[in-house]
Amino acid sequence: MTPRIAARRIGKSFATPVLRDVDLEIPTGCIHGLVGENGAGKSTLAKIIVGLEHADSGDLLLDGRPYQPRTPAESLAAGVAICAQELSLVGDLSIAENILLHTATSGLARIRRKAAHEQAARVLRTVGLDASPDVRVGRLSLAEKQLVEVARALATDPKLLILDEPTSALTAPQSDRLHAILREEAQRGVAVIYISHRLRDVLAVCDRVSVLRDGEVRLTENSHALHEQTLIREMAGADADFDARPRSIEDTRPVLLRVEDLRSVALRHPISFDCRQGEILGVAGLAGSGRTELLNAVFGIDRRLGGSVTVLGPGEATEIRNARQAIRCGVGYVAEDRARDGIFRDRDLAFNVTIAGLRRVADRAGRVVRGRETPAVSKLIEDLRVTSTGIGQRIRELSGGNQQRLMLARWLHCESRLLLLDEPTRGVDVAAKLAIHEELVRLRDSGVAIVAVSSELEELCSLCDRMLVLSNRKLVAEFHRSTWRQEDILAAAFSEYSSAATPSRA
Amino acid sequence: MARSARVYRFFGENLILLSLVAIVAFFGFASERFFSVTTLSTLLNQLPALTVVAIGMTLVLISGAIDLSVGSVLALSAGVIGACVVLFGLPVPLAALAGIMTGALAGLANGSLGAYLRLPIFIVTLGMLEVARGLAYLVTDSQTVYMGGQIQGFALPIDGLGMSASFMTALVLVIAFEFLLKSTVFGRQIVAVGSNESAAAVSGIDPRQVRCTVLVISGALAGLGGLMSSSYLGSADPNAGVGLELSAIAAAVIGGTSLMGGRGSVMGAFVGVLIVSVLQIGLAQIGITEPTKRVTTGAVIILAVILDRWRAT
Repeated sequence: MTPRIAARRIGKSFATPVLRDVDLEIPTGCIHGLVGENGAGKSTLAKIIVGLEHADSGDLLLDGRPYQPRTPAESLAAGVAICAQELSLVGDLSIAENILLHTATSGLARIRRKAAHEQAARVLRTVGLDASPDVRVGRLSLAEKQLVEVARALATDPKLLILDEPTSALTAPQSDRLHAILREEAQRGVAVIYISHRLRDVLAVCDRVSVLRDGEVRLTENSHALHEQTLIREMAGADADFDARPRSIEDTRPVLLRVEDLRSVALRHPISFDCRQGEILGVAGLAGSGRTELLNAVFGIDRRLGGSVTVLGPGEATEIRNARQAIRCGVGYVAEDRARDGIFRDRDLAFNVTIAGLRRVADRAGRVVRGRETPAVSKLIEDLRVTSTGIGQRIRELSGGNQQRLMLARWLHCESRLLLLDEPTRGVDVAAKLAIHEELVRLRDSGVAIVAVSSELEELCSLCDRMLVLSNRKLVAEFHRSTWRQEDILAAAFSEYSSAATPSRA
Repeated sequence: MARSARVYRFFGENLILLSLVAIVAFFGFASERFFSVTTLSTLLNQLPALTVVAIGMTLVLISGAIDLSVGSVLALSAGVIGACVVLFGLPVPLAALAGIMTGALAGLANGSLGAYLRLPIFIVTLGMLEVARGLAYLVTDSQTVYMGGQIQGFALPIDGLGMSASFMTALVLVIAFEFLLKSTVFGRQIVAVGSNESAAAVSGIDPRQVRCTVLVISGALAGLGGLMSSSYLGSADPNAGVGLELSAIAAAVIGGTSLMGGRGSVMGAFVGVLIVSVLQIGLAQIGITEPTKRVTTGAVIILAVILDRWRAT
């Protein structure tokens, strides 16, 4: 039988080869997983299939016919849809209009509001997003946008559907629902390419899985014959293991951060907690449970409605009110959306690292001294093993994992005593993730206090000493490493959403 | 590196400077009067005001904002200087200071409304363009205010140097602000706010404060431009600086400044000013009419942006 999509010896180089003679065949009705480290070539392959990039060599065949999309519009017309990792929705348009942008056959076609509305409502129901098609996309959360992106792809009724990290912001039930939809689509004959770092998801939903490493297909196998460890071994080229060792908790260390009755526009119920020196405090909760909003309120980015945030040092206590003051008190914040709140994409590594602590490399007159900046940044990128051509390289040319390390480097440069980390390993490959975890543990051991938010419970369980659980924007539970069980944490995370309480939208 | 690649890079990095040389060479061939004292003195007299205004514009553009009011603010400042000298009989240095302060105040108004009240800066400075022009007519009673010789010293060549204090000031400011932009904490902050406002805020930079400061600088520099133009003319003309904001934006963009913010250089803007000014003078000398001159200048601006895009990729 002719495969739906076949790639024959696809090659692509930017500065260095990204894809080397990649062969791949995906039959109709098959969900095909694609895994590999960042920079392994997964996203590039996906972009070539939808015409966002062009292969240097090799051919693509769609249903046995030569297929060479020059633009995404051409691939869409051929029946290939993608949900890209970087969301491509227009914030100022409504959900219905965003969907229409992809399904409209001609730019001059009259917009039939009612039909567009109904179509949007239908696909939103399919993906299980409880939102009106008239809502502006800019008002949605990251998880909701991700679902709209999927809905939009489905609305084009594709033959081949490509999903690049579709669940990175989704909660477990949302992911499950998405996976059920993918299986239905596959039964109808749609071929699916599923790219994800969540290996468990990949094994659960995919029929076959290919592992890419350094632009080459290392392995293609039916997923029931595979285990996570096998995949990790093929991806990393070495056995990797998550740290699940118990740690001793010292409740005698001095408290560094004291949050009392904190309230903000997004968090109506007062929240209080402490974080000690040398402690990693996890914040768990479902998507939209207020995790990010909590960090924003602590750091002073979101306006507070009440309560106080105090950073305690030896013999002093400073109340922090805004980001600048927080940084001066030794607080650092790595935000969830790296592209929006983290990197300066057109600037070099040095600029990106020192921007929050320029005083440290400047003289009294406010002149940035290169002779201080260069060695400081060089040392940090060496310590954090950032792969780059040097501190003058633009940050946008680096992989997600390396960018994330630079976000940490920014605060290490400030010698922050307290780090607020929102999804510190989002969109980062397994090896980089382990390296970041190691670094965080090393920081903890040197006395830094860390408050970490993550959607991956396993990550929090392996990393944290203590965990707070938010549910529906309330602080509902606190667990200690010695006593927690995943089921209990999950139960707490769901607690405020059950029975009478319905999930509320911000 | 291969020789061709090196040549290619040299041309890429020095594109605008080479364009300037090419333009100068072209006019040198096309007009026998081009390489003359008259051309040079016209150039040196016209340059300072546009240069200082373009410096301010460059900083504002890099911070991700825009200042459309500079031309009118220049006229208002000139008017204030004229009124101070003629009506109140203030000494020239005090009057000059008052003019610059007037510009800074206009910038402060732009900055506080645009940055702190979060109104669109494009609209706020468009409003200020009208407000300042109107005020310029009010303070001068819609007349050109003649101040005579007492103010012209700033624009006259200094003995032994051959350059006016005006021109020297402009040159020093180009170097000073290039340094500010490239080598100081504040310069980094301007670039950060222009390239990613939200990330700048997370890095502890207050984008409102940075933008407001930059707009105050732009206003003050427009005020200085008012001093320069009135000392060159010996009078305060309420019609001065009409359309100057466009020339300043053009000079900045020719010099590689991005209208999207986050990228640009003061030195580049200065070369941009030279290109715009040399074009104006040169085209006039080879007998090109005013309408054709405008078509040519406009085309050059668009060409510069195309070349810049080509250079960036």
